[in-house]
This record gives sequence, C-alpha cells and structure tokens, in this order.
Amino acid sequence: MMTDAATLAPVRPRRRALALSGWDTGVGHALMILVSLVCVFPIYWMIVTSLRPENAIFSTRLWPDAASLDNYAYALRAVPMQRMLVNTFIVSAAVTAVQLLSGILAGYAFARWRFRGSAILFGAVALTWLVPLQVVMIPNYLLVARLGMIDTLGALILPHIASAFAIMLLAQSMRSFPTEVVEAARMDGGNHWQILWQVIAPNLRGTLASLAILIFITTWNEYFWPLLLTRSPENSVVQIGLQMFISSEGTQWGPLMAASTMASLPILLIYLVLQRQVISSFMKSGLR
Amino acid sequence: MRLGHLHLDPTMTDFAAEPHPPRVLRRMTRARRFRRQLVPYLYLLPAVACFVIWIYEPLAQAFVLSFQQWNLLPTAPKTWVGLDNYRNIFDLPKFWQALGNTWYYLVGLLPLAVLLPLVIALFTQDLPPRSRNLYRALIFVPMIVPPVVAAAVWRWLLDPSHGILNLGLQGLGTKPIGFLSDPDLALWTITFITGWKLIGFATLILSAANAAIDESLVEAARLDGASNWEIIRDIRLPLLSPTLMLLILMVVLLGAQWSFSYIHVLTEGGPLGSTTNIYYLLWQFGFGSLSVGWSSASAVILFVGFGLLAAALFALKAKVTFHDD
Repeated sequence: MMTDAATLAPVRPRRRALALSGWDTGVGHALMILVSLVCVFPIYWMIVTSLRPENAIFSTRLWPDAASLDNYAYALRAVPMQRMLVNTFIVSAAVTAVQLLSGILAGYAFARWRFRGSAILFGAVALTWLVPLQVVMIPNYLLVARLGMIDTLGALILPHIASAFAIMLLAQSMRSFPTEVVEAARMDGGNHWQILWQVIAPNLRGTLASLAILIFITTWNEYFWPLLLTRSPENSVVQIGLQMFISSEGTQWGPLMAASTMASLPILLIYLVLQRQVISSFMKSGLR
Repeated sequence: MRLGHLHLDPTMTDFAAEPHPPRVLRRMTRARRFRRQLVPYLYLLPAVACFVIWIYEPLAQAFVLSFQQWNLLPTAPKTWVGLDNYRNIFDLPKFWQALGNTWYYLVGLLPLAVLLPLVIALFTQDLPPRSRNLYRALIFVPMIVPPVVAAAVWRWLLDPSHGILNLGLQGLGTKPIGFLSDPDLALWTITFITGWKLIGFATLILSAANAAIDESLVEAARLDGASNWEIIRDIRLPLLSPTLMLLILMVVLLGAQWSFSYIHVLTEGGPLGSTTNIYYLLWQFGFGSLSVGWSSASAVILFVGFGLLAAALFALKAKVTFHDD
C-alpha cells in the first residue's frame, strides 16, 4: 500500500504527461462545443426572437438588428403577466419556506431519536417518490374542491408542504452533525427545540440554502398542479400564462418568446449568480 | 469529530443524555414519559400529515375509485362496477398504444440521457478546468429552464414554415418536416426535448463519478500497457456502473412522467394518439372524458407496473453495486 503522500505527489505531472495528446483534447473541445451549442442555442434564440420587431419576427439573422421591446409590451397587455409572475413568486417562496420547515422538523426527529415506527415512517417518506402525481390527481382534485380551494394560490402550496428529498437530505446532514456541540448545548440546559433552532439550523446554513434554491426553482417550473387546480389567469402562475400564447390556429411567436423569457428570467438570474450552488443542489437531488 | 457518528447513533435516546438515567426514569411519572415519547411524532407531524393527506390516502382512494363508474360531477352517482373498468381498459387499443409509446419514450431517452452523457464524461475528463467548467455551466442550462418554456422554444425552432431548424434543413434541400405533426416523428421529437433537458445533468453526475475514480488504478493499468479503450472497459465502466444504474433507474421510472408537460403543450397526445403515453392517457381519461373509473383503474395499473419495475431495477442495482466491491 502506498501512503497518501506517495500517491498524491506524482499524480499531477504524470497525469498531464498521459493527458491525452492534443488530438484527443481537440476532440473533447469539439464535442463539448457542439453539445453546449445544442443546449444553449434554443435559449439564445428565444431571447433574440423576443427582441425582434414584429415585421422582422421571421428573420433568421443570428442577432436582432433593431432591438425592440414591443413583444414584451404586448405580452404584458394580452395576459396578466405581472400578476402571474407575482403569483408564481409567492407560491415558490411559500413552498420553499414550508418545505424547509417541515424538512428541518422531520429530519431532526429521524436523526435524533429512535422511536416506535421510525424505520417504517422513514420508509414511507422515502417511498413517496414512487407515487406519480398523475396517479393521485383525481382524489387530490376532489379534496381541493371539497376545501373550496379550486382556483386559489393556496391550493398550489398545500400539497407541497413536505418533500421526501428535503427530509432525507436534512436527516442525513443532521446525523453527521458533530455531537459534541449538541451535548455542550444540552449541558447548558438547552431543550431540543432550542438546540434545533439555535445550534443545528444555523450550522446547516449551506445545506439549507442549496435546498432552498432547489425547491424554489422546482416550484417555479411546476406545471402539472397549476394546470389541474387553477382556472382564471389572475389566480394562475406564469407557466399557465405561456400556454395562452400557443394556439393551433397560429402562434404569436414574438409575444410567446417574450413571455417565455420573462417566465425563465428569474431562474436564469439565480443561475447566473449562484451557478455552482444551483448545479450542486440539483446533483444532490437526483431529479425530483 | 471522529466520535460524531457514534454519538448520533439513533439508539442514543433522550434518556441516555441525562446524567443519571435510571433515577430520572424512575421518578418520571407515566404521563411525563408518555409526553416524552410523543415528542418525535410531533416533530414529524407536518410532514407525515402532508404525505397522508396528499399521497397515501389519495392512493387508497384511487384504488377504490378504480372499481366505480363516475363522471366527476358531485351530483352524479357513483356506481360500483367491479372489475369492468380494468376489463374495458385492457380491451382498449388506445391503452396498448399508450403503453407501447411509454416504452418507446423510455428506450429513446436512454441514449440521450445516459449514453451520450457517458461518452461526454469520459471524453472530457482531461480538458483544462477552466473551459470544462464553462462547458458544464452551459450544458446545465436546459435542466433549470421551465418545461413549458422548453416546449415553447422547441415549438418555435421546429415550426414547419418559419422555424430556424426547418429553414436550415430546407436550405439543404429537404421539404419542411412536421416534427410535431408527423405521427411517425412526433414521439421522437418529444423524446428528444425530454432528453435535451437531461443531458447536462446526467453528464455532471457521471463526470463527478468518473473524477472520483482512484487515478492510481488507471496509472497501474497504463503501466501494464493497457490501451485507453481497455482502461475504459475494464476499469472506468465497472466503477461507474452503480452511477449508471442510478441514472437508468431514474430515467426508466421518471422519464415518461417528465414528458407530460411537453406532450400537453406540444401535441396534446396527437397526432392520432402517437405521442400519448400512459401518464397522458390518465389525464385524458380523468379530465378529458371525465371517466374517473377508467382513469383510476389505469392509475392503479401504472402504479403497480412501475412499482414492480422499480423493485426489479433496485434488485439489479444492488447486484451491480455488490460486484463493484
């Protein structure tokens, strides 16, 4: 067995020597440039189209010659876009807050105590991701109807009070939280509630932040629930608003692209600023 | 720090942390002990209540509804029809078409969401960090874009008369292609869009796993004269197989579900039902034709089917992961 020092030191220079001839690197770059183009060009094209004046909407130039905000003005007039953006923000922020809260509480319970049924409950939490929304949509719709909450923002928040992923991630990070700190707080007479909020939660800031980013983006992008539960544009979210510009008779491409840009702008801004955190929180999450 | 996980072992209960457990226990009244035992459940209450109300109880309800006939109107009666809904669904060509389409979605997604990312991850491991990070940032963008936006943008790019992709192809001398209106193409178009959203994510997952492979193994093989391909085949692929299995598992279990938004925005299941998968069929039964019984029966079929599939895949994954040791 080699020691750490022995393996670590030579790796770098040796790897570089082996690292692939220029040709291989060239192929790597070419491949990545191609894939990057496929991934980003549609978004670029959306923004470019949204900035074209109406008479140039079908132009194939790669950049707009005369940028105009007409499409945005039209989109804002045709559909209550502002209201929908605000609604989407309210729903996303509320879901983020409650999901973090329920996740912190449940995570603490699973990490701190072994109690009757804890394994079964943990399993039941983990298994929720096996139940697709489409399977439970009718009973859920009926429940929302019974509560008289069809076409309200509350109906979009309620089913998202808890998420399996938040609970499992937080339980995991609380399990690996240094116990000395918790013990010290207990010696000082802190009870569980105080320890959770004054000792553990502040120390999990990083995890909580990346979880918050993930929940916010996921909720912002949500389409199925709003489709099921909202009726009027004023009580709807922006994803539903986009659909109003698409019709089989003829789509208004300029306004649609402007609305699409507005609907993705907050997400793209978050990504621009917090790119690394966004990527890492998505990777931790798996896909849901 | 090293004692960390030992202390947080779940067997460590409340009482163990008290200075003199036995005496404390004895002095505790029954009511107080009951209250203490209740505490964990109180912490779990919001989450568990949410799951019971919005997932597990509805699941049971869907099961019951699958034996009834009902049109979703509160005033209309629910009639008990036994297994009729199931029988009718199995007799329905549309159901088998949707099931077949679901299969095509999954099979079509695997090359895009697993194979291509694997190739990219293997090929780009030695790119200079700065450009690699830039590429990663770019290919991840589709993942965070709202699905409805992705659908709208692709609809625009693929438009037969004015979409830039079609115009480009016409420049090369082809006729306009109805990517979304040709029954032979529409399903693959939607599969492509679903995969497009996942490429970056899958690539990063596989790159991370690839970077975690102990480089000394590769060095040793190279000293023994192994070729690049042999290193990939005999070292990297086996070590990547647990991650690959995880990705495949996700794609198989969730792939058809992700395509729902694209189907609904782009084709509404058409043309001629060619893009309807089983999730979309549930939606059509439930909220298109308001036949709650049929929708619920197909929901039960879907849930049981995917449950079995998940169990099989998890078993397979456990096997693969075991070999890795």
